[in-house]
Amino acid sequence: MSKRIRIILLAIVFFIILFVVYLYKNTDSTAENVDKLVVVSPHPTEFVIPLVQEFETETGIKVEIISCGTSAAIQNVINDENIDVLWGGSLLAVGPYKDYFYAYKTPNRDAFIEQYQSVEDEITCFSNVPSVIMVNTDVIGDIKVEGYEDLLQEGLKGQIAFADPSKSSSSFEHLVNMLYAMGGGDPNKGWDYVEQFTNNLDGKLLESSSDVYKGVANGQFKVGLTFEEAAFTMLKNDKHISIIYMSEGVVSTPDGIYISKASSRIENAQKFVDFLTSKDAQRYMASDLGRRSVRIDVDASNLVIPFDDITSIEVDKYLVMTRKESWLESFMAIYGKEQDD
Amino acid sequence: MTKEVGSFQDNIRRTFIRYSLVPVAAIVILALVIFSFSWSYFQAHYNKQDNKAVSQELSRIINIYYEMVSDVEDSFLEKDNKVDQAEVFEILYRRTAEFGEIGNLIILTPAQQVLFTSKDHVPGYLTSHVYSNWGVWRNIRDNQGQTSTILYEKTLYITKGIYDGDELRGAIVYAVPGEVAQTAISGQSRYIIITDSNGWIYASNTKKLQDAYGRILSSYNTGTGFKKIDQSFYYSCKTVTGKGINVITINDITRSMWLIAILVGILTGIFVAIALITYRSTANSSIKYTKDIAKITDAFEAVQNGDFDVSLNIDSSKEFKIIGGDFNNMLNGLKDQIEQNKELAENAAFSQVKQLESQFNPHFLFNTLDNIRFMAKIDAKAADKMIVSLSGLLRYSIRDVREEVTVREDLSNIQYYLNILQIRFNKRFAYEMDVAEDIMDYLIPKLLLQPLMENAVKYGFAGQEKLTVKIRGYQKQEKLVFVCEDDGAGIEEDKLLEIQKNLSENADSSQHFGLYNIDRRIRLMYKGDYGLDITSKKDEGTTVRIVLPKHKEA
Repeated sequence: MSKRIRIILLAIVFFIILFVVYLYKNTDSTAENVDKLVVVSPHPTEFVIPLVQEFETETGIKVEIISCGTSAAIQNVINDENIDVLWGGSLLAVGPYKDYFYAYKTPNRDAFIEQYQSVEDEITCFSNVPSVIMVNTDVIGDIKVEGYEDLLQEGLKGQIAFADPSKSSSSFEHLVNMLYAMGGGDPNKGWDYVEQFTNNLDGKLLESSSDVYKGVANGQFKVGLTFEEAAFTMLKNDKHISIIYMSEGVVSTPDGIYISKASSRIENAQKFVDFLTSKDAQRYMASDLGRRSVRIDVDASNLVIPFDDITSIEVDKYLVMTRKESWLESFMAIYGKEQDD
Repeated sequence: MTKEVGSFQDNIRRTFIRYSLVPVAAIVILALVIFSFSWSYFQAHYNKQDNKAVSQELSRIINIYYEMVSDVEDSFLEKDNKVDQAEVFEILYRRTAEFGEIGNLIILTPAQQVLFTSKDHVPGYLTSHVYSNWGVWRNIRDNQGQTSTILYEKTLYITKGIYDGDELRGAIVYAVPGEVAQTAISGQSRYIIITDSNGWIYASNTKKLQDAYGRILSSYNTGTGFKKIDQSFYYSCKTVTGKGINVITINDITRSMWLIAILVGILTGIFVAIALITYRSTANSSIKYTKDIAKITDAFEAVQNGDFDVSLNIDSSKEFKIIGGDFNNMLNGLKDQIEQNKELAENAAFSQVKQLESQFNPHFLFNTLDNIRFMAKIDAKAADKMIVSLSGLLRYSIRDVREEVTVREDLSNIQYYLNILQIRFNKRFAYEMDVAEDIMDYLIPKLLLQPLMENAVKYGFAGQEKLTVKIRGYQKQEKLVFVCEDDGAGIEEDKLLEIQKNLSENADSSQHFGLYNIDRRIRLMYKGDYGLDITSKKDEGTTVRIVLPKHKEA
């Protein structure tokens, strides 16, 4: 090889090395070492954003939010070590999986309403969420809806938004609510109603709870079985809806915050739990986001009726948890039978 | 280390390839590298430049608001914790003159009562008790008298708590008009996103690059440099202004990267095509350009193989034409030289043959003359015959220059010699001549047979009374064969071996020169497997055999 060619090759190699070094210097590989927290949540975005923003500015901890349905959220926590906190999901839905969560007793517990103080350490109650019927006042027409019984009307056939209870925890709450309310306190006697109700769904079973409240707000459905806060958010967004508390009785189960046992940022997760159960956060949530606080010292928003005015039903939490699977199976069996007919 | 020497054509071809392909490849690669280098440098440079410009502009704007808030605070304190509406408005208009929008300046009491607002409305989250330690109010309290920024409900607030010691006297909150930031980032060709320190977007000139919550995607929010995110390439630059605001400028360079990739692909394709074409064409052109060399090589090979009749006719270039002409001249010279040498060699052989055939044994002459003297005394007739024979023999030997004579001629002249022998030895010597009639006209060297006789007489009489010599001549295929047999005493074995050895070695010797002469003459005159051999047995006789080519006078 002649000397000249060698010089040219050397020049090329030199330039390539220079280029690579330049690229390397300019390629951003610095994994930003920020204090963070990964939260999976079935809560609506509008609900999540202000609370997370406030938490971030207060603590400097950056929150990554993963949004999905309750069942998927639970599975995510179980399968993904990177997720630190499950925020949302009712006690009834998450309770059976409590082995996957980390026991933590927030100092704020002392200010909780009696019944929320005593739950297991793996579960921190966050808010109380009554099940409600949401009605689109524009499309409902003359049909009067005051409770579950009214949902069986012919005019509502195929007009009821209801999510698959095995996928949406709010739908499961409603199933439990129906069984207790229509069974007169005995859930085993409520299945006759469930059968009639399923029949009136006319084969429409939605995929997630957000499909329910959005469906009603958009006018796709006349009524929907959802939870108070979702209906409240729609109301706040100037949607033409009204919130109906079932005359037969309302089951309200608290939802919670759960720290994953696999979390590597337990300290941040604890700060998050403390923040969300603090008076400021609970007060903001109650007044602006339509959730009922678990604290004694926070009143409900004046946009919703006081808890005392609601016909409330107590459920046997442990019974519900143990029967969950069989009830879901029964529901799907009835629903499937209706489809076959 | 042995290195195979390539042909001249291969070398020429390699040179073609080396000096055409290698520089082209080098230049192409160099150009690409320099292009990529400068392209990415300028991408980064202009991005940074824009980022810097936007950051500085934002910092400048925010500084103006900071000063304005400070002025308002001074006014508030001067008036003993009271608001002078006119003065505050004056400050507000003066400071915001360049933006054409005064924005909403709000002065609150610690109990969240509104003392002043420039826009006649105050958001609920500033007045409601629910928010006394939430959002903007928490920011005021956390920053104890420091001016600070907070992004709340998509509005950028500049806040300052007016403190007297640890006691909060009032709060100044200024909502930065959204258009101000929009103006700062509009008209930019790249994506510009302004976020708070947690990545929540305040202003952006794109709806892309953010998540469902209105926060910048974390992968874009990691500092300055080139990034590959989901099959797309970006250059992003992030500036933290120190006023709670981050400016992130992002170039989507995916398309450019594609273009570069396509460019590289096309260039590579072209280069490969050029390489293939060059490789093929150099094969032809190198053959063409080295055609003359091939001609020269062929000519030299032909000469080496003995063909002197080649000639080099080259007129493609001056140099090769000279070489060709010189080669032809040289070859002609060589041919002449060879011709001359051949002639010289023939002349030498001829003169040697002449010299050889003129050599008579002096003994023979002496003996014959001695016999003649003796005969003259007792038999004058015999003496006379001997003299006639001797003179005939001498005449024959010196007559004309011809080297070859017919068999007949040689036989008739050998008779002189036989006569002499007959008279000399009388009844002791007998001979037989048996030469086939059909070979009489063929040519043989002059005086071929005489030395054979002489040799037979020389050895044959040793210790015995009589000697018979038989001479036979016949043709065998394309050869003439003469055999001379005698029944004499034969030659001693040692002597015979020496003679045979000398004959086979073509050596000269003073003795027996008769036989050697014949052998030497035959070898000089006729190329091929011709010559003389001798066999002998003690007391039984000697046989000399001569083989010659059969040929007639042309």
